[in-house]
Amino acid sequence: MMIDRRLFQEVDWVLIGLVLLNSLIGVVFIYSASHFVPGAYYLKQVFWIGAGLAALVLVALVDYKFLVSLSPYFYGLTVALLAALPIFARVIAGTRSWFALGSFRFQPSEIAKIVIILVFARLFGQYKGDYLSSRFTASALVLAGIPLVLIVLQPDLGTALVFTAVVGGGLVLAGLKKRTLAVFLLVSLAVGAGGWHFGLKDYQKRRVTTLLSPHQDPQGSGYQVIQSRIAIGSGGLTGKGFKNGSQVQLRFLPARHTDFVFSVVGEEFGFLGVLTVIALYFLMLARMFQAVAKARDRAGGYIVFMTSLLIAFQFLVNILMIIGLFPVTGITLPFLSYGGSSLLASYIACGLILNVRMRRFANV
Amino acid sequence: MAEEKIYEDLSTVRSRARAVFRIVAVLIALAVVYYWKVQILDHQKYWELAESNRTRLRALPAPRGLIRDRNGVILADNRASFKVSLIRENVVDPETSYPAASRLLGVDEAVIRERIEMFKGLPAFEPIVIKDGLSPFDVAPIEGRQLEFPELLVEAEPQRFYPHGSLAAHVLGYLQERTPEEAAAFREKAAWAGQMGGRTGIEREYDVRLTGEDGSAVEIVDSLGRAHGERERTDPVQGEDVVLTLDVRFQARAEELLAGREGVIIVLDPRSGEVLAMASSPTFDPNRFITRFTPAEWLALVNDPQSPLENRAIRGLYAPGSIFKPFMALAGLDFNYVNARTTVFCSGSTVIYGSPFACWFRPGHGSMDLSEAIKNSCNIYFYQLGRRLGIDMIALAGERAGLGARTGIDLPGEKDGLIPSSRWKQETLKTPWFPGETISVSIGQGPIQMTPLQVAAFTAFIGRRGTRVRPHFLKGGAEGEAPVKSLFKAASFGPVIEGMWRSVNDLGTGRGAAVAGLDICGKTGSTQVMSRERAEKLAEAGIEIKTHSWFSGFAPRDEPQIVVTVLVEYGGGGGETAAPLAGRMFSLFREIQSP
Repeated sequence: MMIDRRLFQEVDWVLIGLVLLNSLIGVVFIYSASHFVPGAYYLKQVFWIGAGLAALVLVALVDYKFLVSLSPYFYGLTVALLAALPIFARVIAGTRSWFALGSFRFQPSEIAKIVIILVFARLFGQYKGDYLSSRFTASALVLAGIPLVLIVLQPDLGTALVFTAVVGGGLVLAGLKKRTLAVFLLVSLAVGAGGWHFGLKDYQKRRVTTLLSPHQDPQGSGYQVIQSRIAIGSGGLTGKGFKNGSQVQLRFLPARHTDFVFSVVGEEFGFLGVLTVIALYFLMLARMFQAVAKARDRAGGYIVFMTSLLIAFQFLVNILMIIGLFPVTGITLPFLSYGGSSLLASYIACGLILNVRMRRFANV
Repeated sequence: MAEEKIYEDLSTVRSRARAVFRIVAVLIALAVVYYWKVQILDHQKYWELAESNRTRLRALPAPRGLIRDRNGVILADNRASFKVSLIRENVVDPETSYPAASRLLGVDEAVIRERIEMFKGLPAFEPIVIKDGLSPFDVAPIEGRQLEFPELLVEAEPQRFYPHGSLAAHVLGYLQERTPEEAAAFREKAAWAGQMGGRTGIEREYDVRLTGEDGSAVEIVDSLGRAHGERERTDPVQGEDVVLTLDVRFQARAEELLAGREGVIIVLDPRSGEVLAMASSPTFDPNRFITRFTPAEWLALVNDPQSPLENRAIRGLYAPGSIFKPFMALAGLDFNYVNARTTVFCSGSTVIYGSPFACWFRPGHGSMDLSEAIKNSCNIYFYQLGRRLGIDMIALAGERAGLGARTGIDLPGEKDGLIPSSRWKQETLKTPWFPGETISVSIGQGPIQMTPLQVAAFTAFIGRRGTRVRPHFLKGGAEGEAPVKSLFKAASFGPVIEGMWRSVNDLGTGRGAAVAGLDICGKTGSTQVMSRERAEKLAEAGIEIKTHSWFSGFAPRDEPQIVVTVLVEYGGGGGETAAPLAGRMFSLFREIQSP
């Protein structure tokens, strides 16, 4: 495959810069949150950023149309992996979400999020109407439903939620009729209510009730939210200073370098720090969403839109979760939270956006 | 048209994507507003929560003051020890936590639950002591498992220690932990429920003085409760030392002499009222009471009023028997019923108010004056004297001499004695006084009770010829208290002291107490512990009932410096048992005075 010079000219260096900047901010706060424990997490994160960049380049180089054409195979493989999880997966933290090979752990549901984007791009790329027909809606729901159910069964509610949001976003973009939207909402409500009574495990229910009144159970599931809110609130305008947040350094804040890394920003750099990081993130998201307009075709537009939504949704849920406005669902902050799987998935997502954007003029 | 083939019309898709992005932007803006509320508006609240999260106020218990004898010998000391407390707030599940703590500490689970019940009124963050008196070796394995037991708190605590064991146990008293009510009632210093406080003896009497002021430290702690240094610290202030008038040499000798017997030895300095020794036997080891987990039966033993472990010196009520005779003589002289030369003839028995009364010396003492009667401890003389005085004059003289009342010693729990009067009998027993009863009272029998300490104080009163001092333990405690001159004429004491001198030094009943080179004056007593009729019946049956054996005296004769009072329960005759013991105390005094 030839690499055209034109492709290289269309690479969005601003987006790559913003992604790297956010990732490095993440490294700084991972360091602050974990320098007092062994493991050198910030170094590992730097390594994963390197691996992420490599994955990004790889994903960007392969024409997205080729990827979309392969999507049925990706889909089949992903569903097979998800279905195999209950048999082969190791139970980690009460769920069967991971394949483990020695110290290497691999989470198929992270891949499933990307794969469903490609599948939807293929499905809706062929559809030219302004609003979805019932037949198309139904086939989209079935295609999304199979992996979704498998993810819910693991159970990995956080990923299921992100997955649902991305699928929902895809449907909205394809043009959901108002009536369909209403039916969709009603069904979700019914499924939600039914799930609450029959499907949710006790700890999951507790997370929702905890959101409503965290002080009911301050030692249990409310603990994380209470401590995180104390960390953020006590940061004030300018924060307590780098490596100086008592909630972080004295380990009151749980999951400091992973899900709650943004609380570290809040405590050590205060509201100004929070504003800065949110602003940078917002610029990055804006750059991503802008790329929808640069897509050459429908499939590309869907890929960029759903991928941007994937990042935006996780960001929103995370910053709302750590301050107590959303149940604790184990959703990481893309690019900032520590973790190889999450980082890799985010960089691959970013690679897809770059991929579509750099081929805007091309009929190569 | 060609363009359409290459580039599709994506305007609808684009506008929808923009709409979704606008929703995302609005949500982010709302999140920022909420962050602003939490970080700026509610900052103070969360700041305080973070502060209380990371700091812990740790109490630094103050050691109690030491108790020393007059020579500086330490009688009550402190030693390093550790205690383990349970913080209910940190208990996740009592059903698993209590059994686990029970296994770790080797404490009965029932004890843990009992302790929690006892202190359930305290706030849940207050530690409740569940084991104490631990060494560093004991606590090492507990601290090693601190992470598994966030509800357990290991702290250092100075613990009371009595280096001489049971020496002066009744005087020193012992500690027990303060109940929540006691801690609240203890106003002079900061006290806390679970703190060890004086329960009896000097520990109780001077509890306020001995109790120190606890310090505190603000510690930086992490989420697992591990300390990461200190921020503020107020050092604990040890309680004040208490120096006693006690002299361990006298105290040790007295306890040695009483070993295996039940009785009391008191040594006083009559010039000041300082108590040099107060031994009560049987005794106990107060080291048994330094933990909070003293077995209940032990506590019952010392707290029971009928207990053999009571301090008999201040709480034992005995008929004084013949040692009451010097008082009778004093009353007779002072009220001019007799003078030094008044004689009475003793034939061994006499009939008064139609009833026969016997002297202890059946052959009879013959004719004798007052000092001779004291020397021989003749009953007949004092029967006659008592008959002449009548009970109410005896009671009046007793009141003037301070008999029947507490001495006011600085030890909790001292009991009143009893010198009967006709009004007393009418008021308490609702029957009139029979003159015949006066005859028994004349020789210190019948409804008459004194504590050994009251006997000692009265002996000092005679030695000081009518000046009363308050016995006390606190060195310098009676400074500023002027000795009380009584209404008795100084001249009335001469013949009484003469009689007591002769009792010891002129082959009288008290001769067993004599010490070469020391002018000792004293009086013996042998108290019947049951009615004479009953004792005689038992004696006929071959059962010997021993009397309580008394001796009380002072030395030297002029300006006395020491009073010794000895009581041995069921010791037999005062001359046989008590007097020689007193003699050993006097000889120790002589050794110390002129080595």
